[in-house]
Amino acid sequence: MKYNRINILGLGNVLYGDEGFGVSALNSLQETSTFPDTVHFIDGGTQGIYLLDFIESADAVIVFDALIPLEYDRRVYVYRNDELPDFIHRKMSSHQMGFSEMLGIAKLHGKMPQQIVMIGAPPKDLELNIGLSPELALLLPEAVEQGRSIIEGWLNEENY
Amino acid sequence: MAKKIVVDPIPRIEGHLRIEAKLNDSNVIEDAYSSGTMWRGIEVILKGRDPRDAWAFTERICGVCTTVHALASVRCVEDALGIDIPVNARIIRNLMNATQVTQDHLVHFYHLHALDWVDVVSALKADPKQASVIAQSISSWPKSSPGYFKDLQQRLVGFVESGQLGIFSNGYWGHAAYKLPPEVNLIAVAHYLEALDFQKEIVKIQTIFGGKNPHPNYLVGGMACAIDPNKDTAINIERLAMIKKIIDDTTTFIDQVYIPDLIAIAGYYKGWLYGGGLGNYLSYGDFPETSLADFKTLLWPRGAILNKDLKTVIDVDPRDASQVTEEVSHSWYTYANGDGKGLHPWKGETTPKYTGPKPPFEHLDTDKKYSWLKTPRWKNHPMEVGPLARVLVAYAKGDPMIKDTVGLVLSKLEVGPEALFSTLGRTAARGIECKQTAGFMRHYYDQLVANIKTGDYRTFNSDRWDPATWPSECKGFGYTEAPRGSLGHWIHIKDQKIQEYQIVVPSTWNASPRDANGNSGAYESALKGTPMINPEQPLEILRTVHSFDPCLACASHLYDMNGNEITSVKIV
Repeated sequence: MKYNRINILGLGNVLYGDEGFGVSALNSLQETSTFPDTVHFIDGGTQGIYLLDFIESADAVIVFDALIPLEYDRRVYVYRNDELPDFIHRKMSSHQMGFSEMLGIAKLHGKMPQQIVMIGAPPKDLELNIGLSPELALLLPEAVEQGRSIIEGWLNEENY
Repeated sequence: MAKKIVVDPIPRIEGHLRIEAKLNDSNVIEDAYSSGTMWRGIEVILKGRDPRDAWAFTERICGVCTTVHALASVRCVEDALGIDIPVNARIIRNLMNATQVTQDHLVHFYHLHALDWVDVVSALKADPKQASVIAQSISSWPKSSPGYFKDLQQRLVGFVESGQLGIFSNGYWGHAAYKLPPEVNLIAVAHYLEALDFQKEIVKIQTIFGGKNPHPNYLVGGMACAIDPNKDTAINIERLAMIKKIIDDTTTFIDQVYIPDLIAIAGYYKGWLYGGGLGNYLSYGDFPETSLADFKTLLWPRGAILNKDLKTVIDVDPRDASQVTEEVSHSWYTYANGDGKGLHPWKGETTPKYTGPKPPFEHLDTDKKYSWLKTPRWKNHPMEVGPLARVLVAYAKGDPMIKDTVGLVLSKLEVGPEALFSTLGRTAARGIECKQTAGFMRHYYDQLVANIKTGDYRTFNSDRWDPATWPSECKGFGYTEAPRGSLGHWIHIKDQKIQEYQIVVPSTWNASPRDANGNSGAYESALKGTPMINPEQPLEILRTVHSFDPCLACASHLYDMNGNEITSVKIV
C-alpha cells in the first residue's frame, strides 16, 4: 500500500461563520464517504502546535480550511505540496503558532508527509454566528468533491 | 522626548493582543496599555440553548484551551442542577486536567516562551563537545553526546542555509538582551525539538478518556467513557497500562529535561528581575479530592494574596456578588446602569459597543475605551492569575511539595523568595507547577486503578439528565484552574434553557485594561519599569507578556497566502 495512513483535517472555528468552512467540509465528506479505515477524519478546530502529530503521523494529508488566496476570487482553491512552502515562508511572523508553523516544524523534523494538499475558499462572513454564508455554502460541495477525488486517487495508487 | 511603542499583534500567542508602551528618555517603560483587539462573544451564542450542550460550544472558544472550557462548563451546569458525579468521573476529569496543565506548561516553556531567552542563531556557533559537557553536568538525560548535538547543529545549519529559518524566523536574534552562551542555546534548541515530539505522547491520555482529540467528549453528569477491565471498547487493562507508561515518561522528561533547563537558563538571567507587576494574586483552586463544592479538599488551594504579603491568604468566594465583578469603563461594551459599575457574572451583560478609532490607526485613545476585554476585579483589586498566583497561594498556605520545590529552585539559583515576584519568577513557577501536575497524574492514575479494583465502573450519573427533573429556574458556577489561571463559567438556567452565560477567562484577568479607578491590569503593571535595550526590537515586552501565557480568543484560523499577519512594531 502506497499510503498506509491518510489524515483528513478540517480546520477553523465553527463559531465564526465561514471560519468553520474547513470543519464543515470535513463533516460533509465524512458523512458521504466509505473510505477504508486507513483514512482518518480529524476535526482540528483552531489548534496550532497540537496538530503536529496529525501531520507527521500520516503519509498523505488533506487539509480543509478557510483561506485568503494570493489573487482574490471567491472560488475553491487547491494547493499541493510545493505550493504550500511558499506561503509558509511568507507567513513566518504569525500571531500564533498556526498551521503554517506546523508545516515548518514538520520539515525541520524531516517528517513531512509524502503528499499534503490544502483545499479552501476565501470567507465572506466572519462574524460570530454558527453556519456558513450562502456564498460559501455554495462552494462547499466542490471543495468536498475535490477532496474526495484526490483521496480516491491516492487509494488507487497502490494498484499500479 | 517621550516615545510610544506599539506592538501589534504580539507573536507566538493565541489570539490578538496589542501593547502600547510609553518610554522615558532612557528607554524605560513608564506606562503600558494592553488591548484585546478581537471580540469574543460566546455568551451571545449560548443564549437559549440546552445547558447540556454548552460544553461543546465553549470547547470551541479557543484552540488550545479546549478541555478547560468543557470542564468549567459541565461543572457549572452540574452545580446549577445539583448533580453529583461518580467517583470515577471525578478522578478521570482530574487526570485529564492534570495532563492538560502538564502538556500546556511544557509546550509554553519550550515553544512559546523559550525563544524570549534562547537565541537560536547563536546555537549555530556552539561547540557540540562543550554543549555535551554542560548537558551532562546538569542532567542524566541520555540524549547528550557530542555527536547528538553535532548532528542537530548541522541540521539547523542546513535549514538556515536553505533559507528556511522557518519557525525561528520571527526572533530578534543577536539582541543584546540574550545572555546564554552558544552551547546552552544549542541544548535549549535540541530540547525544543525533543519537547515537540514528546508533547504528542502526553495528549494521548485525552484521547483515551475523551474519545477524541483535540475536542474530547465531556458529559453533564460524568464522563462519556466506559470502564471495563475486560472489554476491548472500554477503559481496560491495556489502556490503563498505556496511560501509566505515558505518565512515567512525562515525569522523566520533566525531571531530566524541563527542570534542569529552566534552572540552567534562569541562572543566566537572575539579574533580570523585572516584570513583577501587581503583587496581587488570585486562585480559585482546583483538583478536588471529594466534591467540588468542598473547596477545602482542593489539591491546588483557593485564596488571594494582596501586596505580595505571603503571610496572609484571604478567603475567596466567586459566588459572592461583591467579590468577582467585571466592569467596562475602558472596554468596548456598554452596561445598562453605568460602565464603571462592576457586575457579578450572574448579573453580567455582554453588549458590544465599539468606540475606538477606525483601522488603520496609529494608536488607541487609552484615556477612553481601548480594549475588547472587560475588566475583572476581585473586591475591586486588579489580580494576577496563573501559575505564579497558584504557587504563591500554595506556598503561603504551607503546601509541603510546593515549599520543597520552590526552596530547591531558589537555592540552586541562589536567590531569595522575593525573586519570585518577577517575569522570571512566573516562568519558574510554571516549571515548578508542571513537576507537581505530573505528580498529580500519577496520583489520579493510582486512585482510578484502586477504585476500579473495588468493582466500581460507574462514570455517569443519569438522575438529572432529563430536563423534566430540573427546577424551573436555577444558577450555577463552574470553575477550574486552567494552565493560564482561574477560569469561571456562570450559568443561569430558566425553563430548561440557558438564560444567561458568562465566562471570565484567565487572560481577561491578566490582560485587562484600566478600571474606573485608574488601576492597571496585570500586564500593564508588569511592564512598568522595564528598561528596553532597543525599542525597535521589543524583546523585553515579549518576554514579560509571554510569561503570563496569554490566550486571547483565537477566533481566527485563516490562512493568509499574502503573509499579512506580520507583527508590527511602531515607534510613534
